[in-house]
Amino acid sequence: MIIEKEYKEAILNGNISLAESLAKKAIDDNLEINLVIDQFSEAIREAGDLFEEGEFFLPELMRSAEAMKAAMAILEPKIMESKEDRFLGKIVIGTIEGDIHDIGKTLVAAIMSAEGFEVFDLGADVPVDKFIDKAEEVGAQLICISALLTTTMVGQKRLIDNLKKRNIRDKYKILIGGAPVSRKWVEEIGADGSAENAVSAVKLARKLLEV
Amino acid sequence: MGSRLIDLGLQPGIPPESWNTTHPEEIKKIHLEYYNAGSDIVLTNTFGGSRLKLEAHGHGDRVREYNTRAVEIAKNVCPPNAYIAGDIGPSGKFLPPVGSITEQELIENFTEQATILAEANVDLFFIETMVDLKEAEIAVNAAKKAVDIPVFASMTYKKTKRGFFTIMGNSIEQCSEVLEKAGTDAIGANCTISSEEMIDLIPLIANSTDLPIIAKPNAGQPQLVEGKTIYLSKPAEFTQDIQQMIKNGATIVGGCCGSNPKFISEISKKIKREKQ
Repeated sequence: MIIEKEYKEAILNGNISLAESLAKKAIDDNLEINLVIDQFSEAIREAGDLFEEGEFFLPELMRSAEAMKAAMAILEPKIMESKEDRFLGKIVIGTIEGDIHDIGKTLVAAIMSAEGFEVFDLGADVPVDKFIDKAEEVGAQLICISALLTTTMVGQKRLIDNLKKRNIRDKYKILIGGAPVSRKWVEEIGADGSAENAVSAVKLARKLLEV
Repeated sequence: MGSRLIDLGLQPGIPPESWNTTHPEEIKKIHLEYYNAGSDIVLTNTFGGSRLKLEAHGHGDRVREYNTRAVEIAKNVCPPNAYIAGDIGPSGKFLPPVGSITEQELIENFTEQATILAEANVDLFFIETMVDLKEAEIAVNAAKKAVDIPVFASMTYKKTKRGFFTIMGNSIEQCSEVLEKAGTDAIGANCTISSEEMIDLIPLIANSTDLPIIAKPNAGQPQLVEGKTIYLSKPAEFTQDIQQMIKNGATIVGGCCGSNPKFISEISKKIKREKQ
């Protein structure tokens, strides 16, 4: 299908105006919106894979995510109208206190939001309790905590400990990320998982939330 | 410097540069350890001392104080025939499309820090850990403009299937070309990659420039063991890698994250012995 190729082209080239016009056209032509979103999602996943392979770099990936967001902004109201359940869930994400590395976290947030999650990005250097308060406030299902430094990783543990203290650990799924995060660390602190990259983070989030 | 500060108790959330005023004795001690280990150049504790970076910690109003103090502390212990490099790290902000900072804001950011370091009389500038070539170029221009002393610039590369690139996609050749044109006096690489990986990177830099080459790798990859950060590289094997890099064309060598004075001492002993 030529149109599928266009969706992919718009996202992979980070062409915001093409992504927008394709989204508008899909609505005008009365296309099945969910299928359209699937096409866009597949393209953004490919952008993520290209980044992992060293074909794409940060600017290309961010442009792709921006194009995806632009298309979703047009498609989302249509989904609301049709009352079809495309909404995947709410995510609170941020880089832990003491750590101002936010590239990885921003990528995950962009791809999560492109995929259809409602993302509350708290930024970098976020105190543990702010994650929890925000999650409580918006009724999130998932909390993602990034730590790029081995010295700040302990904050991931503290967040989970604080959730336990407040007796709300089971209300949330917790994903942790950052270069030094290992399988062992996930188990040690009792998180629900961690992923190699932004694309697998989205897959894992969908799996954990069963959406 | 950063790894040593953490060893000495620097807590997460505190900008390392604040120790120039709160813990000057500790900073002095670290500099002295490095000079005693055989360092010819030590870097001031100002890596995150630019306004944009300090603002991220809520210390935006301390730029002058932290940078000036940093140089004063280093001057206190710098032996004759050794040098003090004004360390300048990334702003932590990105130009579009990744972030929303403007080139003008970056120019102001680095001009301010370079000017303060110049007024405090550093011997050279060491611009390092840059992942965006444009930002590195802006920092080099700012340093060049501040005062006529040598400017070293070091990029951070990542190994991909297609070779070494910065995370922004700048190739080694692009970095060498742009930094050379900006008047940089030595160029190279630091951080992120280990000494083993950096061995392959140095000949590629050597092919792209005639300038002196800097090699300042990490001491392996950080691991968290029982709540403590451990770098697995040992000084002896790190030094062997550095010696290989010197054979491949590096002339300014040292250690980045995870290294400590023991690494420098080992390197210094080996390469200074070779010279004799």
